[in-house]
Amino acid sequence: MSVSPVGTFATNPRFAAIAVWASTAARLVLGGVFLVAGGLKVIDPQSSVAAVRAYRLLPSALLTIVGWGLPFAEIALGVLLLAGIATRLVAVASAVLLLVFIAAVTSAAARGLSIDCGCFGGGGDVAPGQTAYATEIVRDVGLLLLAVWLVWQPRSRLTLDRFSSERT
Amino acid sequence: MNSTKNLNARERARLAAEQAAARRRDQRILISVVVAFLVVVVAGGITFQAWRTSRSPSAAPSAIAAASPVMITNGRPIPLGSADAPVTITLYEDFHCPHCADFEEEFGPTITQAQESGEARVELYPMAFIDEGSITAANAMACAAEAGFGQPYYLALFANHTLQWSDPQLIDLATKVVGSPPSEAFQTCVKRRAHADFVTSINAAADQNHVAQTPTMLINGKDVAIESLTPESLKTMITDAAQK
Repeated sequence: MSVSPVGTFATNPRFAAIAVWASTAARLVLGGVFLVAGGLKVIDPQSSVAAVRAYRLLPSALLTIVGWGLPFAEIALGVLLLAGIATRLVAVASAVLLLVFIAAVTSAAARGLSIDCGCFGGGGDVAPGQTAYATEIVRDVGLLLLAVWLVWQPRSRLTLDRFSSERT
Repeated sequence: MNSTKNLNARERARLAAEQAAARRRDQRILISVVVAFLVVVVAGGITFQAWRTSRSPSAAPSAIAAASPVMITNGRPIPLGSADAPVTITLYEDFHCPHCADFEEEFGPTITQAQESGEARVELYPMAFIDEGSITAANAMACAAEAGFGQPYYLALFANHTLQWSDPQLIDLATKVVGSPPSEAFQTCVKRRAHADFVTSINAAADQNHVAQTPTMLINGKDVAIESLTPESLKTMITDAAQK
């Protein structure tokens, strides 16, 4: 019978006690960031569409739907994370969304576009010297790590639903 | 004795299986609820934005009495304000550019004041590169200037910048600015995109003048750094330029 080192480590009661609070912090930070990012974009529907257009990745038929829908997806994920409902499932969805964001920003940088990521509202083309791809990617990777942590350790405190956060 | 023990064990196993099944069912329900929540929020959000951008424009600033019609010339900016004002403020803006709307909110009142006092006039390059609404709005802006209500129409376009700018919205906006339905000529001008060539020529002119971003502002031909600008410092710049 072999026990993986991760298993041993993760079932250590001291680790579990710390992990629960680390997960609580991760959930609140990630949820807060999503809620703010979505909220700032919802205010201005034209600029969120313009921000999506600036990536030059989607056909024009999809720009409006994505530009209008994505901020609300962020708000919904943010609300679920802050409430602590189905944390593992929501963390998986958050990680997928963040991977999409990272891929989009990386591709913009690789194609030599000069755009603002529009992560917290605004967005669109900027002057060649004004891009901040490295910062944007580092920030998104940091958030991705929080999401991955939550997929691994979904149990946390201060949740609306104690049952759901344990298993899903 | 032995049989009761067996029964208990079987009973316990049955209970455990039932509990596991119940947990799995709960989990399935929770997943469905979460997915449904996401779908409802996103679909509701898209519907909300569709409504927001297609509603009719809200209250708009009313026309200044002394506004006079101006000529629209390809490649040349739209003049707004007194022709013999000592200061010329050149603006490159797209009516759907978010930073232009911010700029207008912060500095618009200062510029309007300078126009009304006869200190400055604006030369507007209505660029159109963001979307279809940028083009229809820039075209309608030229129509409005030609019809003699360019200045209030300009302010009203930015005051309602979240709208998508369909033809009915642009005509509705003119009605609100003028106080009565606009002339047949204006309506035709909007619907037929009478100034489509002008809009294209403005984009080309901006390119030629090496304007790479909007908003771009020049005072008497000199580039102004908008990032570090405040309404007060803008006011001082206009006054200083007037005295030179």
